[in-house]
Amino acid sequence: MSVGQVRIRVPERAKAGEVITVRVLVTHPMEIMELKGGKPVERRYNFIHRVEATYNGKPVFEAETSQAISQNPLFVFPVRVDAPGVVRVTFHDTEGKTFTAQAEVKF
Amino acid sequence: MTQQAMAPRISRRRTIKALGAAAVAAGALSMGALAPQMALASQPALGMPQAGEKVADTLQRLFAGRTLQPAGDRIKLEAPMIAENGAVVPIRVESTLPMTADNYVRRIYLIADKNRRPLNATFSLSPASGRASLATNIRLAETSDVRVIAETSRGELFEVKQEVKVTVGGCGG
Repeated sequence: MSVGQVRIRVPERAKAGEVITVRVLVTHPMEIMELKGGKPVERRYNFIHRVEATYNGKPVFEAETSQAISQNPLFVFPVRVDAPGVVRVTFHDTEGKTFTAQAEVKF
Repeated sequence: MTQQAMAPRISRRRTIKALGAAAVAAGALSMGALAPQMALASQPALGMPQAGEKVADTLQRLFAGRTLQPAGDRIKLEAPMIAENGAVVPIRVESTLPMTADNYVRRIYLIADKNRRPLNATFSLSPASGRASLATNIRLAETSDVRVIAETSRGELFEVKQEVKVTVGGCGG
C-alpha cells in the first residue's frame, strides 16, 4: 500500500446538534526506532507527528503523535455538527509531507 | 529535572515544549488551532531520536506537581487485558465529563509507562467535539500500565489507568 492514503468515514446523514463519530486512517509506516548495540540509530525517523481535523473550517480535533502510534494510524473522534458540512483531516509527517482528505456530512 | 545527555538543541526543544505546555495550562487562548505547533526551532530535531524517559519524569514534566484526581466513572478506558500483538494495541476512551464552553476536556494525554518515551500522544478537543472520547491503536514495548489523563479547561486533571499485558513487544529492537 502506498504511503499517505487517507480514508475518512462519517455517517451518511446527521441531525443538527448530533455528535457524530469520525473514523480516519492514513497509510503510513510510522517508523520505529532502530537499535544498534542497545542504542538508537541516529537518523530521522518518518512518522506522523501531527493530526488536524476541522469541521467547516473550524478546528475540532488535533493530535500530537509519536512513534508509539501503530502503523497505518487510525483515529476515531467525535464532532458535534450544528450544520451540514465537511470534515477535513490533515496529517503531517516528520519528513514534512502532508496528507489530507475530506468527507461530507449531510443532514 | 532529568539529566540531558543529548545536544543542547534537543534540550532547547524540550524547554520550548515545556513552556508551551505551561502556557496552555495557564489557560492561554489560542487563535485558530486548538494546540498550535511548537516553535520552528524544534523543526530540525523532528523525527530524530530523543532520550528515553522514565514515566515519573514524564509526569513531572507534563504536570509538575499538579493533582491527578482518580477519574472514577468519569472516564472509561478500554484496552485489552492481554495484547496479542504489542504493535497494535487498541485504546478507546469514553468520558462523561462535560464539553460545554465554560467546562470542557481540552486535552487527553495517552501514556504507556514502560515505553521508552511514555507519552504516546496528546489529543486536543474543544466544545465542538461534543463528547470527550477517542480511539486509536498504540504500540507497547512490554507489559505496562496505560494511562489516560484528561485535562479540563478549568485546569483539572483526571486519570484512569489499566495494565495491558504484552506477549510480543511492539516497538522492535
